[in-house]
This record gives sequence, C-alpha cells and structure tokens, in this order.
Amino acid sequence: MTVAQPRKDKAHRLSSTRVGGKLVADYWENIFTAKERGKHVVWYNGAALNPLFHAAGLEWCHGEAFAARLAAQHLEGPAQAAGAEYGYINELCSYARTHLGCAVLTHQNSNRSETGVVGLTDQQELASKLPAPDFFVNGYAGCSTGQQWDAMTYRVFDRALPLFNVSIPMLWGNKPDAGYMRGEEWIEVGKYVEGQLRELVDFLEYQTGRPFDWDALSESMSYIKRASELRLEGMELCRQAPTPATYWDWVASIAPINFLPGNQDLVDYFAGVKAEIEQRIADGVSAVENERYRVYFDGIMNWNKLGFLTRKFAEYDVAVVAGRYTHESFWQEPQLIDVDNPLLGMAQHYLLCPLNHGLKNLQELLLRRLDEYAIDGIAFHSTRTCRAMTNPQSMLARAAEAERGVKSFFFEGDVADASFYNDELFDSRLEAMLEAIDVQRMRSAV
Amino acid sequence: MNRLSPELMATLRAAADDPVAYAQTWKTTHGGSVIGAFPMNFPPELVHAAGALPVLIQENRTPITEGRNLLAEFYCGYTRSVADQAALGQLDVFDAVVAADHCVQLLGAVDVIRWARPEKPVHFAQLTSAMDDAWTRPRVAGRIGELTTEIEAALGVSITSDTLTASIRMFNANRRLLREFYELRRSGRLRITASEMQVLVKSSMVMDIAEHTVALERLLDGIDPADEGQPDVVRLYLSGHFCHAPRPELLDVIEETGVIVVDDDLYTGYRYISTDVPETGDPFEALSSWYLERNLNAPCPTRVTTQVDWDRYLVDELTRSNANGVIVLMAKFCEPHMLYYPEIRKALEKNRTPALLIETEHEGNPVETLRTRVETFVERIRRQRMPALS
Repeated sequence: MTVAQPRKDKAHRLSSTRVGGKLVADYWENIFTAKERGKHVVWYNGAALNPLFHAAGLEWCHGEAFAARLAAQHLEGPAQAAGAEYGYINELCSYARTHLGCAVLTHQNSNRSETGVVGLTDQQELASKLPAPDFFVNGYAGCSTGQQWDAMTYRVFDRALPLFNVSIPMLWGNKPDAGYMRGEEWIEVGKYVEGQLRELVDFLEYQTGRPFDWDALSESMSYIKRASELRLEGMELCRQAPTPATYWDWVASIAPINFLPGNQDLVDYFAGVKAEIEQRIADGVSAVENERYRVYFDGIMNWNKLGFLTRKFAEYDVAVVAGRYTHESFWQEPQLIDVDNPLLGMAQHYLLCPLNHGLKNLQELLLRRLDEYAIDGIAFHSTRTCRAMTNPQSMLARAAEAERGVKSFFFEGDVADASFYNDELFDSRLEAMLEAIDVQRMRSAV
Repeated sequence: MNRLSPELMATLRAAADDPVAYAQTWKTTHGGSVIGAFPMNFPPELVHAAGALPVLIQENRTPITEGRNLLAEFYCGYTRSVADQAALGQLDVFDAVVAADHCVQLLGAVDVIRWARPEKPVHFAQLTSAMDDAWTRPRVAGRIGELTTEIEAALGVSITSDTLTASIRMFNANRRLLREFYELRRSGRLRITASEMQVLVKSSMVMDIAEHTVALERLLDGIDPADEGQPDVVRLYLSGHFCHAPRPELLDVIEETGVIVVDDDLYTGYRYISTDVPETGDPFEALSSWYLERNLNAPCPTRVTTQVDWDRYLVDELTRSNANGVIVLMAKFCEPHMLYYPEIRKALEKNRTPALLIETEHEGNPVETLRTRVETFVERIRRQRMPALS
C-alpha cells in the first residue's frame, strides 16, 4: 500500500514548541550519561511519578515516553525487532514491546553478551542507549497491561532488581454518587494511592540511602503546578474559532509536562507557548488555513504519524482543537496540588489518567469538551494495540451523536507501530464524516 | 481402560455448553436468583452463600454480530463474545453481574453491559493485582466486603459467616473431587480426554455446586482404581488459555494425533481448581487468603509478583506430570499471555522441553492446519524419544 502525501501544508504549527523539543532532547542526552555520572537510575511506567524521583536525586526513564520518542523519530524498528526476536507478538501493546525490546538491548549491552539479534547495528544505537536501571517503579492507571509490563521488564533483567508497584484503582463508578472528581469512591481511592506514595518514598530512601527531600518535592511541584496552569490557559484560548493552536501543538507539549523536571525552564516553556497563542490571536493568525471544521481527537497518539496527520487534517480544512489524550491528562487539574503537601494532589492526578475512567465519566468529559470547543466531529483513533484507550470508543461515538448530534469517524492506527495504519481508509472515512457535517449544516440553515 | 459414564457426562456437557439455558432452568425450578461472574478470581462462594446461583459467564460459540459494533476486532474472543451476548440480551438471565479482575479488555466488555443494560446491577470489585505489597491484603479484604454488601443489596439477603463457611466447604469438596480426576488422569488410571476434562471443570463453573458434586461422585464411583494404566504414548501438557475454554474440537484434534493430554494449567482446567479456601477462621478473610494463595499455587501472569514465576511453575509441573511436551494455547490478543510468553519459551528451551504455540480465535480456527502442525510437533517428540519407546 502506498501512503499518499498531502499536497499542501495548511497547518501552522506553533514555533514555541521547538523549545520544548530542545528541552526534551537535552533531557534524554543527559539520561544517556547517567551511569557515567554515577547516578541511580529508575525505570518507570504509567503515572508521572517523576517529581518523586527528582526529589530523591534519581535519574528517571519513562518507558512509554522513550518508546514514543523512538516512534516519533521512526527509530522504533530495532527495539521492536529485538522484542520480536525475544518472543513478543506484534499484537502486544507497541509501547510495551518497543520498551521491552529496549530492555533486551540494554540488558545485552550491560552484560556484553552475544545477542543473536540480527543486524541494524547503527539504528540500534539509540534504542540501546538507555542506562541500565537500578530498580523499577510501576504506577499504571487503567491499563492492566501497563501493570504487567514492568513485571516482565523485571524478568528480562534476570529477576535481579527491585520492583515497586503503586496500585492505582480504576475510577469505575460503582456508587450512584460517582462522577468525575466527585463521590465517595473518588475520596477513598485518593487517600489509598496517597498512602502508597508515602510507601514509595520509603522505598526510594532505602534504594538511594538518602533521606527524601520533601522541600525539593514541594519546589518541583510548585513549578509543575504553574506550568500546568499556563498550559490550561493556553488551551482555553483555543476555544475560539478559528483556533490559534491545535491538538498537535498540545501533543508536541506532552513530553515537557509529562516527565521533564519541575523547574523554571518548564514554566518558561509553557509561558512561551501561551504567549505565542496570545500573539496569534492579536495578529489574527489561525492554526489551520481556512478552518471549516473543528474536530476532537479521541485515542492515544499515533507517534509514527504525528507530522503526517497534522498536515492531513489541515489539508481538509480541519482544525483538530482538543483531545482526550492531551486535555484529560498531564496535571490537568492543578487546583488539586497543595505545594506544601503535594502527595494527595499527585495521587489524584494519577487516578485521573484518561485510561482510568469507566464509561460514565468518559461520557461526561467528552460532552463537556464538545461544548467547550464547539466541536463538529470526532476522530476516533482505534488504536490497535492500546485497548485501554479504545475500550469505550464505540459507545462514546453513540453518546456524542445522541446527546449533541456530533458526527464521528474511526480510523485504525497504533501508538508505535506504523504497520497498523491504513491511509486509504482514513481518507474515505474522514471525507464521509465531513460530508455528513456539511449536510447537517445545510439542513440547519434551511 | 476406565472411561467416564456417557450418561453423566452428557448431563454435565449440556450445562457446560449452554450455561444460560441451565441458569434459566435453575431459576424456574429453584425460584432463586442467578448472578453472572467474570473470570478469573471471583469467589463464587460469596454468591452461593447468598442463596443464589453463581455462574461464570462463558464464551458463546455463535458468531459475533451486534458485539462487532461495540468492541473492536482486536479484542480477545471472550470479551467480544461477552459484548455480543450483552447486546443481544443473552445475559438478561442474570439478576446482577460482578467482576473482580482488572483486565483492560474484560472491563471494556463489562462497560458494554452497563451501556446495553443500564438497569442491570453491575459491580466491579477490583482485587489488587500487585500481590506482594503490605497493603494488598487489606485492600482485597475491603473489596470483598464491598462485594458482599453489593450482593446483599442486589438480592435483598444477608450473607452470614455460617452460610459462607458452609458454601466454602461445598466448593472445596467440589474442587477436591475435580483434582482427584486430575490425579487419576496424570497417573494413567483413568482415560479422560482433554475435552472431557474441560466439561468437568466448565460445568462446575456454571452448575449448582451441590448437583455438580453429586455428579462427580457418581462418575468416580464408576471407576475401578485398580485398572491398568495406559501404554507408553507421547504425554502432552496444555498450558495457558485464560478466562475462557479453548474449543473442544481443538483439544480433540490434539489427541487424535495419538497423544494423550496428561495435565494442564488452563483456566478452564487445573488453574480454576488449584486452591481451596481455608475452612477455619473468619470466612470473609479466608476469601482474601484464597485469592493470594492461589497465585502462589498456580502463578498467573495477570498478577504482578516477584515471589513466584509461572515459567518455573510450569517446568516443575511438567516433571510432576511426566509430560514429554507442551502445547501453549494462547487466546489471540490476550495481553498478559503475550507479555509472559517469551519467559515461558525461554524456560522450556532451557529445560529442553518441546513446545508448540497455538493461537486460538473466537471464529475461524483452522482445525486441519492445526492438525498438521500438531502431527509434526508430535512426530518431533517421538523421534526425540525413539530409543526410549523402541
């Protein structure tokens, strides 16, 4: 199958996000030298536990983030080949098998053993650059595979390293009073996870042999809270039409908010993003030339196709203005963070992962975003190996149509495996949705 | 050679093949409630103690129709079948539905039930899957307490310590009998095929436990324990296949190649019956103990632990059952199995145990292709064992 290239780039991406790209690149370059600098290294997955690692004086490697980075740079192949050779089947979460492939390569490098993994020596370099871990921490909300993943990384490293699990219950909505950030269930599980974070602090103290720096945690969280506020203010500015920035700009800003250290650089980055959006509004610059449709994106990001999809949607005069992945995660409720006593607010954010809700909460969140951003249609990225994100999509589509008359379309792809994307199907389905929106508009105009 | 009574097996098979019909009949004849439960760690004793019939919801054999629009095609056959059954109203026989396992695909299917049947009580008692932590046991106990309250509310009854203790004893007795069948098969004193063993276990998941125990006792009564064992043939172990039963025709194809299946760790198999609930002390606490101990007895890749390993367990079990090879049955798209499979493969290679991986699907299992693969696999084992067999 050939993938047609969009003819003209009608997307005007924010230039300020390039600063974030540089911050992230510098972060990883620094991580790669962690062992040379005598640092303790933690590998972790799931929730943004990095402020705790930061305060404990650790270097932290987020597995999904590294897998996403490899995929976005089209360098995921060697890690996935190593994973496949080790035995991981390609229907397994492509984040997990990319990262586990990295684990296989890193472990082989650290043991300097003959691998048997074939070829691709040059490209392997980045995939195998992660410093070997001293221990693992897993804090995965919503996705059972995420919880099991580090139990496997632990085994790839010969069962020799400590593994700490933070168990984050689902916000399932058993109780009648349950809803988004409300009800008995919400109160109870926040305290439960907070208690585990205190246990994690004890674990970190034991592993590092140093007392935990609570002041450093408060300082880090104060920067993260401010960065989050600026990010949300920038997002709010995109409620106007035409939008000054798109979902893709917020995707480009995920890495900084998700795992960079909480410091002034982080605040400056989001202040810069917000300032550019404000300037665009002042100058009358829109993010998509001739914005005619406003679309919400539901699904985890297709990292292989980030730039491609940015151009593709814009080609159809579609501004993708918000999404579940960007807008319902990553410190998105900063008012919960008490910087003097941050653990409960952190625990609550870990619970608010967009994979961690039952259908009822997700419907509530979706309808709210449809209203806030005056959405015309929804793009559901049916993410082949991410069942956690795909779970409720069919029912969300029906709720959007029934409650708001909002049309939608589905396309198949994946987080880090380009082979699951089908461009012809994408075009025809997007076109069908846009035609349905046109018909809807004509009818309402009569 | 000892064989099982065809008449009794027909009764059990009927319940195993159509649990919904069995539940409907049971409701009519007993005037009681039926609660549908999901695999793999829900304690049925709790429902039984409330005077209701616990039924472990099974994969339906029919092709998926309505469910296709509700869950994506890249979900396991079991969850897609559950979504389909919910959309078609086939789960309406259940007065409430309960789940205890956090599997992302399973919860997708359970959410379909909530969406398709909003009036149906649905409760998720999330039993913590990280097993090693100090806070796991109290958390699990709390969820069992919540579950008890929900079942009581749904049925309008109270579950007392005495009734729960009695239920635990009944289920333990049933599990012990099933394990006796496993021992008889392992020792060669009873010729019981893999699909027959599946009928015994699967029917225990869906039938009135007292009725099922009587049937097992009658089956055992018909066996002469002094009977001679089987001739020396290739002995296979079946591993994997969580949550739902592999199709019987697939199991039959394996044994039609002239081998015998001597043991398994399938969920609809030994995994389900591996562990009894403690009969002393507080019975509610005993259910927590059962949950934690069961994973030590038969480690499951859906649980996170550094205390035990499924691969090491499997190698030990191969020795215990004197098996010559392993067929790994993997339900397509089953993520915990896909995650753990490389460790299984490594361990079996290190142990020089021949192994064959077979992926199963809800529809379109290529039986004849599988036959060829199994025949080749068995031939490989035979050649390895040639001096011993000649």
